Amino acid sequence: MKKTIKRRLNQSLLASSIAVLLSSGVAMAKNDSPHDIYMNNCASCHGADHGGYLAPALNADTLKGRSPTALRTIVMAGSFDTLMPPFYGKLSDDEIRGVIKHLQETPKQPNPAWTIDDMKKSIKVYVKDESTLPAKPTFQIDEKFENLIGVAARGKYGRGEGSKAIFINSNTHQKVGEVETGTAAHIIDFNPANPRWAYVKTDTAEIFKVDLYSMKAVRSIKTGYNGPGMGVSRDGKYIMAGSFVPHNAVILDADTLEPLKTFELEGVDPDGKHVSSDSGMIIGTPYADVFAIALENAGQVWIVDYKKEGFPVTKIEKVGRHLHDAFLTHGGKKLMVASYDDSIVAAIDLEKRELIKQLPAGCVPHVGGGAAVKVDGRTLGFGTNFGDCDKMVVSVWDLDTMEVVKQVPVSGGTESPAAHANAPYVAVDIISKDRRARTIQLIDKKTLEVAKTLDVGGHAYFPEYSADGKFLYVSAGYNGDEVVVYDSHSLEKVASIPMESPAGIFSRGRVKYMTRGLSPDEMEQGK
Amino acid sequence: MRARLSLILLGGLLAAGSSQAASVYAGQSKAAAVCSQCHGIRNPSADAPFPPLAGRDAEYLKTAIKQYRDKTRVSDVMNAIAGSLTDRDIDDIVSYYSKAKP
Repeated sequence: MKKTIKRRLNQSLLASSIAVLLSSGVAMAKNDSPHDIYMNNCASCHGADHGGYLAPALNADTLKGRSPTALRTIVMAGSFDTLMPPFYGKLSDDEIRGVIKHLQETPKQPNPAWTIDDMKKSIKVYVKDESTLPAKPTFQIDEKFENLIGVAARGKYGRGEGSKAIFINSNTHQKVGEVETGTAAHIIDFNPANPRWAYVKTDTAEIFKVDLYSMKAVRSIKTGYNGPGMGVSRDGKYIMAGSFVPHNAVILDADTLEPLKTFELEGVDPDGKHVSSDSGMIIGTPYADVFAIALENAGQVWIVDYKKEGFPVTKIEKVGRHLHDAFLTHGGKKLMVASYDDSIVAAIDLEKRELIKQLPAGCVPHVGGGAAVKVDGRTLGFGTNFGDCDKMVVSVWDLDTMEVVKQVPVSGGTESPAAHANAPYVAVDIISKDRRARTIQLIDKKTLEVAKTLDVGGHAYFPEYSADGKFLYVSAGYNGDEVVVYDSHSLEKVASIPMESPAGIFSRGRVKYMTRGLSPDEMEQGK
Repeated sequence: MRARLSLILLGGLLAAGSSQAASVYAGQSKAAAVCSQCHGIRNPSADAPFPPLAGRDAEYLKTAIKQYRDKTRVSDVMNAIAGSLTDRDIDDIVSYYSKAKP
């Protein structure tokens, strides 16, 4: 009895201290206008221009006729089975009411500017003298420094203490470092020329240069307001990054993060209309000193020669309607670009700089990082599709003949395939918003049939193999709060690494096999 | 030997089937659907104001949730959410969180 009373007391003490914390937080935020509250809590997902990004657009038009009370409930309690967190206790009731009123009155904003000067001013230096950094990794890892995996841990709120890039030794499954990123880490790229550097891009388009030997951020730059596009050149000297807001892209010096040139993204779309465009994927290829960038709305792929004076651009038009992500094949000479609106994947020849062919993909293709495997002398590419349609398939193409080999039926929409030369299965994440979201499916490379479904838990997504192909890593995502590790042959669960809302998983092995699933030899062909 | 084993198994099944026994698995799935948005499936967010539930005393959790459901303990959000839970749900959820490692 005594024990219970004591516990109750502790509880009420805890409650009152939380209450004090809450009211002080509210007091501090009191001067914030609804616009500031929106920018500081909502814009990283819903868009600084109110036009949407990871989450729906919130403006006078999209919220027309919606009940303010219903919207308030969503803001307070969060939205289940999505990334939308509960703001109860973080924002006061008055603040929530204020934001909703503001949103229902505010039209979608024009693209805010973010110029090369804004970028220059945004550079932050955390380590001034890089010679003070350790000469080799300060943690246990293999000699070649390959078995390293980076996870974009979003944090429940997509910002704050929970938002970091977490690095794991993929042999021991132990966490070896973490780098706080302020807002959610979204993409992690590794420098192909110098193993010590990684680049982490956040939801709000900051790029952090990370020293993997000491697990420290060295510098950062804000390249825009949002947009996932980022690529690193084969010589490790340049980074190209592109934004959804505003519609531009930039080439950075990979060492100092100084912006060297910006590009306004606009052009004539396949229907003859001149449009301003979001930046889709950006990729550096092992085959040449070029970056390829997809212009989402303009349906064009631009090839930028970063070794030539003035960074000249070659434009390939009429690639598809609403381009997004892509992967490389044939030693990096060919690029497979997903196009949402016409449900095709377009094959681009980077050498001749022309469109080869448009291949049927499925329902709203989202190829993620892509996957390609060599089976019985054929090179097969795997394409995931994240639309919710009657027919849910993963498309398999013969990348030499550029023909569809098979459309493998899967249990739902998919957004990211993983493959490895030494692993028997291609893993795809089922993202349909019900119990299926807990699962990933494994397609047998030889039979091209689903061989197994794994119940990972949470909202499972972004499978990735370790660099040696022995282990399959999967994010249990929001509501899962862990990364789960499986043996890639037996599919037995071997480890779990807890973290807040993990999303994308990026193996450092990616730098040596160009596209996941191919052997490192494929990359050598291109050089 | 085999007979005894199946008797034990049968006993286990019966206990699981009875209305009193709580299921950790059902609790986890209910917790994921109802509680984890704020309290996390293991822990709440590092910067969220919600108390952690994992590893808490089972009796305490049960009393607290039932008080929220009966509105003898007042909280707009918790009264609404706990209001949707049956006794069975509460037992399952308590079983899951009290056994979870924080």
